[in-house]
Amino acid sequence: MTTAQVSAEGAYIPGFDESSLPANGNQPALLQAKRAAAFAQYCEVPLPSARDDEWRRTDPASFPFERFSPAAPLSPLTEAPAPGPWDSEFDVVVSVSDAGFHIQDNAGLLADKKLVVETLADAAVRHPDLIERYLQGPVRVKQPRKFSSLGDAFWNFGLFIYAPARSVFTRGVLIRYHHTVSGQTVLPRLLAVVDEQAELTIAEYYESPETAELLAISTREFYAGRGAVLRAASLQEWGARTFHIGEDWARAERDARVEWVTLLLGGQISKMMVSCDVCESNANAYLSGLFFANDNQHVDQRTLQLHSSANTYSNLLYKGAVKDRGHSVYQGIIDASPGAIKVDAYQMNNNLILSEGARADSLPGLEIDADDLKCSHGATFGNLDASQLFYLQSRGLPKSEARQLLVMAFFEEVIARIPHEFMRERVREDVRRKCGASI
Amino acid sequence: MSEKTPFFEIRNLHAKTEDKAILKGVNLTILPGETHALMGPNGSGKSTLSNVIMGHPAYEVTDGEVIFQGQNILELDPDARARLGLFLAFQYPVAIPGISVAKFLKSAADARFGQGTIKPAQFIKQLREDMKFLEMSEAFINRFLNDGFSGGEKKRMEILQMLTLKPVLAVMDETDSGLDIDALRIVSKGVNRMVGPNFGLLVITHYERILRYIAPSHLHVLIDGQVAMSGGPDLVKEVEKNGYDWIREKFGKEVLV
Repeated sequence: MTTAQVSAEGAYIPGFDESSLPANGNQPALLQAKRAAAFAQYCEVPLPSARDDEWRRTDPASFPFERFSPAAPLSPLTEAPAPGPWDSEFDVVVSVSDAGFHIQDNAGLLADKKLVVETLADAAVRHPDLIERYLQGPVRVKQPRKFSSLGDAFWNFGLFIYAPARSVFTRGVLIRYHHTVSGQTVLPRLLAVVDEQAELTIAEYYESPETAELLAISTREFYAGRGAVLRAASLQEWGARTFHIGEDWARAERDARVEWVTLLLGGQISKMMVSCDVCESNANAYLSGLFFANDNQHVDQRTLQLHSSANTYSNLLYKGAVKDRGHSVYQGIIDASPGAIKVDAYQMNNNLILSEGARADSLPGLEIDADDLKCSHGATFGNLDASQLFYLQSRGLPKSEARQLLVMAFFEEVIARIPHEFMRERVREDVRRKCGASI
Repeated sequence: MSEKTPFFEIRNLHAKTEDKAILKGVNLTILPGETHALMGPNGSGKSTLSNVIMGHPAYEVTDGEVIFQGQNILELDPDARARLGLFLAFQYPVAIPGISVAKFLKSAADARFGQGTIKPAQFIKQLREDMKFLEMSEAFINRFLNDGFSGGEKKRMEILQMLTLKPVLAVMDETDSGLDIDALRIVSKGVNRMVGPNFGLLVITHYERILRYIAPSHLHVLIDGQVAMSGGPDLVKEVEKNGYDWIREKFGKEVLV
């Protein structure tokens, strides 16, 4: 175990100092400026430590930063990669691997300029106004954060998705990340903007081999304009030796709706933050999470439901299971700004503890500076229900099968919120596999 | 009748929960084709008996045996008992949000008859027929098990499970409680479809009403954890002639409301 130390030059995460910034000559001036601003912020923010509330249960020192070096910026692949099993379900498929990236225009929407899916470098040239306005944009309502700034400054693959006003894409975009090289930090960056009254679904899938030791530091920004609908689902199936720090941000304007599902099943240590600001009247956020830590997995999630405007609505449901020596942490905050009246915010975290040595921590919280609003939150912990188990056994189901079925049933409420059936089925398979032969 | 071997026999059954003795030596034998009614006041041990027969972990058997299909099933887990053909219709069926009725019934049928024995199409066809017979809407197939069901719907679901799993011996634990006359008629119709020469039934009840729909061949009265009275067809004949009032007079009016 080593510690992320303040180096002589400043508060750097090992591997991320001035010398590791992508070369300026290879990118548009707009991105150079954005990176420079992010780097300045990154230097200013102190290193997180286990003394911070947010990191108390996941010591930053448990990430072996010094064993990783940043992956080089990715270039387009010269040949299309092997298709994935879900590609045909989407209008656009983006494949990202250590060798490069590829954007597949399944429905001709990109060619017809109906939908934009391109690298940030291309976007900075083709849509500078949008990049200027949204990249590191108004979604970042809180104090600068170390890893968001790091991601903004050092990303090695940046993607921009833009659905123009009043365009509707129900099939949407799939981004699949497949990383295999040990010793690297991959830094994916995503900016997605769904403009007024448009509708878009984005699915992301992360995987790495069981034996690959790597680190991912990701940051995403999602914007839903007035009356827009943005559905986002990310399925994380990293191998057992992959580490992940992610900080993700969303913002819903007037009458907009964000449906955001985070599925954390793989990886060794994951430290994720999800923040959604319902920032104008009648904006809605539905935040859903599913996590399952078994063996010696550690999953730490922090959610922020920001109500920076009156008359806004958020509903959060995070369900997790821990097994073997797995450890999960959930920290939830509902933050209502001064004057945010007529807010309706709900936050629930349910935890299943399936083995003696497993542990789940849950810290729901409210930070409210307004009156006349409805906020409720809660957390539950427990093993499977004994009377339900007996009922299933009394119908002939062996105990381990009955227990597995009850674990599936526990998660089904969140699984039902996943926009794509193939992903729902995949998650069910993952849960079954993680339950194992005897639970 | 005499040539039949008992396939279900409770011998001197003692059971307790949390150090409180509830069953204090129950004896009861059921032959194939018989329908037994078990009455008794609240607290006499009726529900404990049904739970112990099925193997509920909250009860500890301190003495006695329950012989079914030639073996002492008290040594078996509840699921193994069910796979032998034992069925308990619960007094209070639990809801399991997240498991659809179809998924649950298929898993249970696979467990009972063996994985892959029943083709999905055939299974759904039979399920639809059974649901129609029990006057249930097909919409129930996709609902979560007992989740938001009314009392009558839950009891019908129990009977649907019984028709699906085709048990050899069924115990009905106050299935009639809380049912209106219409639901009682439907539930009884389902049970009577099961009744036959290779099926045994133990109807635990608090009410005379259900015995008009499901005609018992034997009657038992459970008082304070023991069978205080047992009788066969002769007793049933007497009841048919003179009614149940004398049972109430003899054992107290709570035995049969």
